[in-house]
Amino acid sequence: MEVLARSLISAFPVISGVPLWAVTLLIMVVVAAILLVFFLTFGGLGSYVLRKVAGDIQVRIGPNRVGPYGILQFLADGAKLILKEDIIPAKADRFLFVLAPYLVFIGSFSAFVVVPFGVGLIAADLNIGVYYVMAVTSLVVIGILMAGWASNNKWALLGGMRAVAQIVSYEIPVAMALLPAVLIAGSLSLQDIVRSQGGLVGIFGWNLFHNPFTFFSFFLYLTAGQAETNQTPFDLPEAESELVSGYNVEYSGIRYAFFFLAEFGDMFVVAALASACFLGGWHVPFFRAEALPSLWGNLLSLGAFLAKAFGLVLVMMWVRWTLPRLRVDQLMRMSWKYLVPLTFVNLLGVSLWLLVFKGKGIPQLIASIFTG
Amino acid sequence: MGLREYINDIVEAVVTTVKGMRITARYGIDAREEVTQQYPEERRETDERFRGFLLNDIARCTSCTMCVKVCPVDCISLEAVRGADKKMVLVSYDINIMRCMYCGLCVEVCPPKSLVHTGGYEKALFNRGDFTLHFVHEDAAGIKARVAKQVAEAAAKAAEAAKAAEAAKPEPEKKA
Repeated sequence: MEVLARSLISAFPVISGVPLWAVTLLIMVVVAAILLVFFLTFGGLGSYVLRKVAGDIQVRIGPNRVGPYGILQFLADGAKLILKEDIIPAKADRFLFVLAPYLVFIGSFSAFVVVPFGVGLIAADLNIGVYYVMAVTSLVVIGILMAGWASNNKWALLGGMRAVAQIVSYEIPVAMALLPAVLIAGSLSLQDIVRSQGGLVGIFGWNLFHNPFTFFSFFLYLTAGQAETNQTPFDLPEAESELVSGYNVEYSGIRYAFFFLAEFGDMFVVAALASACFLGGWHVPFFRAEALPSLWGNLLSLGAFLAKAFGLVLVMMWVRWTLPRLRVDQLMRMSWKYLVPLTFVNLLGVSLWLLVFKGKGIPQLIASIFTG
Repeated sequence: MGLREYINDIVEAVVTTVKGMRITARYGIDAREEVTQQYPEERRETDERFRGFLLNDIARCTSCTMCVKVCPVDCISLEAVRGADKKMVLVSYDINIMRCMYCGLCVEVCPPKSLVHTGGYEKALFNRGDFTLHFVHEDAAGIKARVAKQVAEAAAKAAEAAKAAEAAKPEPEKKA
């Protein structure tokens, strides 16, 4: 940010009187605003796509009234949520009840800081990127439990407790499934991880094809990520048919919208991390985006990244409308007995692979045969 | 749980998930399979034997009151007076469709088959009273007055005829 501020000041002498920190702060606010707009648009359009996909899969039509093909449905929904009465139950814990949606929203939104959108498009390239995402999305757990507790409602509390048990359990396989990418790149920074997947006509540099273990790791991550974002095969915290709506039953209006947006934000973060760590992030297949002039390179890589991430979001929705919900004990069994051991085995496998083949993946080994 | 079962579990989970996703993908992509009807614009044609709102063809109704007697919820009310030709004349025939449960007993029992079910099923009105279907549109008092007049006229005619007959009767006696 400070580098950008310095270059901005040197480019426009008019603002040279403004102190450096002020320009930096301004840039930070602008970047945050852009991310927020992206977040909200994704939440809105995501809800539309989710309902449309659900309609198609369930042999229905889905939203089709507002605008052409119902595309403006999310604006109508948004307006409705903003105008609705904001109800706080009489016996609720007022302070926690009001605070909870913000925590959930912040936890989900702050993960966007390290999402590598393009060659140079990243809010902050933290050197602990992956770790930061893991840490910050844990805030969601606290918010959800807070919401469940403060609502003074049996269903909400059950939903909140289930959410905590679930998210804490699945945090381990999520982190373990991401570690192979970290090992290969030798860095926790998401930009470094993406950069390490370049070369070899774009596609074959991807960690997905690096070795068999990373290939499985990708699917393990998607599965665990699905659980981490409370989506349908693992949507026990919400479970409409048994808990009505889980931790957010008592919420209405704009506070409900925060939970709703956070859910879609989490979905995007999971998809973005999966595409950054396994699908080559912003690398354009058969093309080197970094070599292009800054503007076009950034735009092209942004497009490639968003295409990958949205594709994964679509896959998550597809899974969501395919599988029925698990039972609580099945959910825990799946995490502790299947996902956790498998991710550990994967991690071990990747470590051994890197040791034996000196960090080279299968495509690189094949390429080295031909190049001699 | 042995290792073999453990691996089998994993393989089964993956295989069944893929199978399920193939099915949902087929439905998701094939738009022809949509079964939704956009109700206010597209209306389903009701079946031949659909039991919708009742309709009484009062021209054929004989005021036999069979429908009133058979109705389990007493939603039909009927009033009739005897006409000049000894047949019943309907004064009013009302069906309260808020009570009607569309059992169809009245239609089955109707001797002249004047009472029938229509295909109609949409009724949203502002006043409760509007939910009573009236089949005789003429004023009840008017019908009664008319029928009474006709009856009186017929009676007068009959009396005249009788008088004429009486007057005519003695003549043959005289002749005889």
